Amino acid sequence: MAELLIKNGIVFDPINGVKGEKMDICIKDGKVVESVSSEARVIDASGCIVMPGGVDAHTHVAGGKVNAGRLLRPEDGRKGLEPRTGVCRACSGYSVPNTFATGYRYAKMGYTFLMEPAMPPLKARHMHEELMDTPIVDKAGMPLLDNNWMTLQYAKSGDVEKLAAYIAWMINATKGYGVKIVNPGGTEAWGWRKNCGLEDPVPYFDVTPAEIIKALAEANERLSLPHSIHLHANRLGQPGNYETTLKTYDLVKGTKPSRKRQVMHATHVQFHSYGGTNWGNFESKADEIAKYVDQHEHVTIDLGAVMLGDTTTMTADGPMEYNLYLLTGRKWTNCDVELETGSGITPFLYSGKVAVNTIQWAIGMELALLVKDPWKVVLTTDHPNGGPFITYPILISLLMSRKRREEVMKEVHSVINERALLPTIERELDWYEVAVMTRGTPAKILGLHEHGKGHLGVGADADVAIYEISPEETDAGKIQKALLNAKYTIKGGEVVVKDGEVVAVPEGRTFYVDVRYEDEAVWKEMLSDLEKMFKEYYTVSLANYPVQDDYVPKPYVIKAGAAE
Amino acid sequence: MQTITLGIKEKVFEGVARVPVELDGVTPDALCGKSADEIKELKVWWGNRQEKLGDLFDVGVEGSAEKPDDVKIVCKGDFASVKRVGEGMKAGEIIVESDVGMHCGAMMSGGRILVKGNAGCWAGREMRGGELIIEGDADDYLGAAYRGEMTGMTGGRIVVKGSAGDYVGYLCSGGEIVIEGAVGILAGLGMKGGRIVIGGDAEAPGGEMTGGTLVVKGKVVDMLPSFRFEGEEEVEGVKLKKYAGDLAMGKKAKGVLYAP
Amino acid sequence: MPTVTDVVCPLCGCLCDDIRVEVEGNAVKKVRGACAVGRAKILGHGRLKSPLLREGDELKECSYEEAIKRAAEILAAARRPLLYGWSCTVCETHKVGILLAEVLGGVIDNTASVCHGPTVQAVQGVGLPTCTLGEVKNRADLVIFWGANPVEAHGNHMRRYSYLTKGWFRPEGKKDRKLVVVDVRESRTARMADIFIRVEPNKDYLVLAALRAIVNGFADVVPESVGGVPKERLVELAEMMKTAQFGIIFFGMGLTQSRYKHNNIEQAISLVRDLYAFTKFAIMPMRGHYNVTGFNQVCTWQTGFPFAVDLARGYAWYNPGETAANDVLSRKECDAALIVASDPAAHFPAECVKHLAKIPLVVIDPYPSPTTEIADVVIPSAVCGVEAEGTAYRMDKVPLRLRKLVETEFLTDEEILERLLDEVLKIKGLQ
Ligand SMILES: [Zn+2]
Repeated sequence: MAELLIKNGIVFDPINGVKGEKMDICIKDGKVVESVSSEARVIDASGCIVMPGGVDAHTHVAGGKVNAGRLLRPEDGRKGLEPRTGVCRACSGYSVPNTFATGYRYAKMGYTFLMEPAMPPLKARHMHEELMDTPIVDKAGMPLLDNNWMTLQYAKSGDVEKLAAYIAWMINATKGYGVKIVNPGGTEAWGWRKNCGLEDPVPYFDVTPAEIIKALAEANERLSLPHSIHLHANRLGQPGNYETTLKTYDLVKGTKPSRKRQVMHATHVQFHSYGGTNWGNFESKADEIAKYVDQHEHVTIDLGAVMLGDTTTMTADGPMEYNLYLLTGRKWTNCDVELETGSGITPFLYSGKVAVNTIQWAIGMELALLVKDPWKVVLTTDHPNGGPFITYPILISLLMSRKRREEVMKEVHSVINERALLPTIERELDWYEVAVMTRGTPAKILGLHEHGKGHLGVGADADVAIYEISPEETDAGKIQKALLNAKYTIKGGEVVVKDGEVVAVPEGRTFYVDVRYEDEAVWKEMLSDLEKMFKEYYTVSLANYPVQDDYVPKPYVIKAGAAE
Repeated sequence: MQTITLGIKEKVFEGVARVPVELDGVTPDALCGKSADEIKELKVWWGNRQEKLGDLFDVGVEGSAEKPDDVKIVCKGDFASVKRVGEGMKAGEIIVESDVGMHCGAMMSGGRILVKGNAGCWAGREMRGGELIIEGDADDYLGAAYRGEMTGMTGGRIVVKGSAGDYVGYLCSGGEIVIEGAVGILAGLGMKGGRIVIGGDAEAPGGEMTGGTLVVKGKVVDMLPSFRFEGEEEVEGVKLKKYAGDLAMGKKAKGVLYAP
Repeated sequence: MPTVTDVVCPLCGCLCDDIRVEVEGNAVKKVRGACAVGRAKILGHGRLKSPLLREGDELKECSYEEAIKRAAEILAAARRPLLYGWSCTVCETHKVGILLAEVLGGVIDNTASVCHGPTVQAVQGVGLPTCTLGEVKNRADLVIFWGANPVEAHGNHMRRYSYLTKGWFRPEGKKDRKLVVVDVRESRTARMADIFIRVEPNKDYLVLAALRAIVNGFADVVPESVGGVPKERLVELAEMMKTAQFGIIFFGMGLTQSRYKHNNIEQAISLVRDLYAFTKFAIMPMRGHYNVTGFNQVCTWQTGFPFAVDLARGYAWYNPGETAANDVLSRKECDAALIVASDPAAHFPAECVKHLAKIPLVVIDPYPSPTTEIADVVIPSAVCGVEAEGTAYRMDKVPLRLRKLVETEFLTDEEILERLLDEVLKIKGLQ
């Protein structure tokens, strides 16, 4: 297979401790190698920044909910129309792009791995169908496992072993990657149009969200999964929720990690860092959250930063989306999924003229800048909730340029000077820190660094982004432009983007975890509980539930638990 | 003053099928100052292929203009299957001497369009400004929103001498629509602002409206059960009943419907 | 006799997946657990035997190669080809079909545009508070069928999903639920109802508007009778809805295809949304063909839009009313057509069928139909769910994999389209 030699680039490869050194990267058979022959195709990267391909640890790109968002919003669809080319399929959409546009646009930004973080297990097949149609990038999806009636029952009885067995079964059945938690207990309560706080018992199930989270963290570590639990905490988006957030982090302080990583990844933390008691005195508590994260080893976060503009919000947190609809009066979709989870979708405009939106916009960046250790923070907008992924270059340029932040702060609501912290922050991220938050950290948090992602060491996947910009450049506009359209993106050793245009569209692989639970007696008991659930309460049969191999034509299987 | 004539060639619609020609991009703004030869070279969509304008239309140019305001485009021949005439135009004038196809004057923000015959669906869709006059009838979705959008027409004026189809002024939030004849179902559907006046009959007018004013001078079929009668008033010389609604929308409903 | 269990029925949007089929000698012998129509579908009936090409007034047998080559020539030459049908085939077929439409610069549309297209348009206006069928089974204490008659159209719906079935919070099944039917006539479903409300034809929009006004606190403006329904009945129904613990409205073509079409649905959805001020509610369309939902799903994630997609310019333009099959046919806009797994000649208005008969027409289908009779090229295919496997989406958007029960000599829809696409690419010099 073809050899590539990327010459003279300034390389940022945080996992291997490379912080902006001029060096060559050799590629053969889709992997990074020590050296290549004189036959290798040479890519001149002088004057360019070279990084591993970007890893998005949390982006809603595929599945029933995302597609319901597309269907809901033809007016968003017509915003991103691009005709078919000799290489690419027709594209559409801005905040809810079609699957083809998703693959192409991420690749153009130098991203090569996407984690879909909210797969309803019953509709796992749908997510995989869409992932199959998302070109170029590698990807994976995490099943929602926290409002499932089986989980609620095992969490209530404190049966971590059966819970672990159940999780193993579900991850295998859905060809999923890890354990996703979204408003534990609250989404089940939404089945009755109710919600749950951290210590409130779930209606009819008599178990609290706190108990669910703890049990799932224990079960996750019992199985030694590559990723920790991935948590969307209770009370998302509510004034004063930062206290719930910190209490939630404390729940798993004592949980022993089974691998060298966090035991809880807390997602889109911007939405969980709010002070005040109502929308009138709503304020940033990013400092409290940042302090906690810096002082504790068991939690990592991603931003869920808000970018100003129109977007589509979507989450398995049904009650939260309904409340958002009540605020805006715009259209609203909800879909509850039997025995498992729910989802809600509503369009939203983050306006710099609105005080609350302005503070939200500030908080995402405050978190990135106030947490001292970039190895604990992943850069995300919780696409498309805080803003479409296509706004990442804007976000990064703001984080890298205080000057640009100040320019924008002059334009937005003056509340930013009273109830946000951003105006007081001087820190500017450098390219190394950007590489950490978009490559090194997400790969490590997900456990993907052991599988060739997020770095450029020998043996790594040859996923490389080359941006035409000098590391000395401080102009936010130029940073943004370089990041939006990579000079080159290389995926698995193949040049897929050149001069900002997609030039090749290989299929990406789907990563999933094959996890074994070894105690046969427990396994059998769990299976008998599961069979009863299918026989009496599900509307599909157990035999038709697991995702067939047909839906993962390009698999990459990671073994875990007793299968490891 | 620059006058450009576009006469459609007969061969275009002589087959079994009438594949529409789409004239978006052929506006006074785009043609201002261009010669006949330059205009003939412009590309337009005819089905799934782009063709030279000159291959589908006889093009004539008289006079010249410095700015789009002084450009007049005259459309001759049968334009019933020519879509998007004057779409997005900002200035100048377009006269269609026959019927015209869908989306005539869609998203226009200035200038004037005169259609001497009937207009197809979505005439004046998402209109922002300017004037659209239809001497014949207008089909469905006159001055309406595009699917999924929150607002339709926000400004400008549409006048129809004949009747109009369903969904006149769907999600209208500004501007004015005047129809001398009757309309189909749900005129002013979901309107939030602006003014719609209907000279003839209407069916279920004002459904889901939360703002704006809708006047029906003819007979109402299927008067909605969710409007509050608020007394009689004289509107444009006609004594009409005044209703507030549509209360199906709850407390936010602030629309005004006048009907006999 | 070998029995295949957990077979998914390829008939209607219920996608019952508990069917047992006995197979012997590469033939389906017995079907158990399906409704009568589903059983007939799986057992099979008179098939097209060979590809056919029109010569004058006659359709003559030919090879797959000849038929596919002729079909490719027709479609590649067209300026505005229509690709229609898709609801009785699997998603794997849809994917090739959409790519073909993109390559051809055609208009692609499915049968939703003549059944639940209005539902989709309504959703795009107001959204859709819905759920999967199991939520109804386990939680619903108020089940409303509006303009729908499942007893006749969705034979197993009430038994498996909605009314008769037992669930976690409804252990007594129908004893734990109330059934309301709203329709223009007393259907067989209506006869089972606790409450039947008869609405005058084409007045659903008015009745729904009145219900919304009542639910939103404006009962005082509602007149004494709306659409033939006394006001006190509406007040009573509104109260039932507000006090239910979990209510669901299932609606059918009685609502989507009567006057005020998609606005009936918008009102019904908005009513459900308004009810969230009081309680939990959901609403769901009763989709007909087994994979009409699947096409809308695939088309949405691939093009951004659910049906009626015009790809003439290489990108999608979505505008039902302009770009749906019946629109381009009634306006004589299309100059060739490919119909896959559907029979528009039997269901479309006469003017549309007349145009369809005049233009070059290619049909892919396992069965002869009025549409194959007017076709220029007929290509027989395997029956999905019996002879071919693949994905289908249930009416609540739950995807299931249809099984292959017996071997066949017929090509699958997917294989035919792939070959057709190859030929088109050759003609266009793209391969
Ligand atoms: Zn998220």
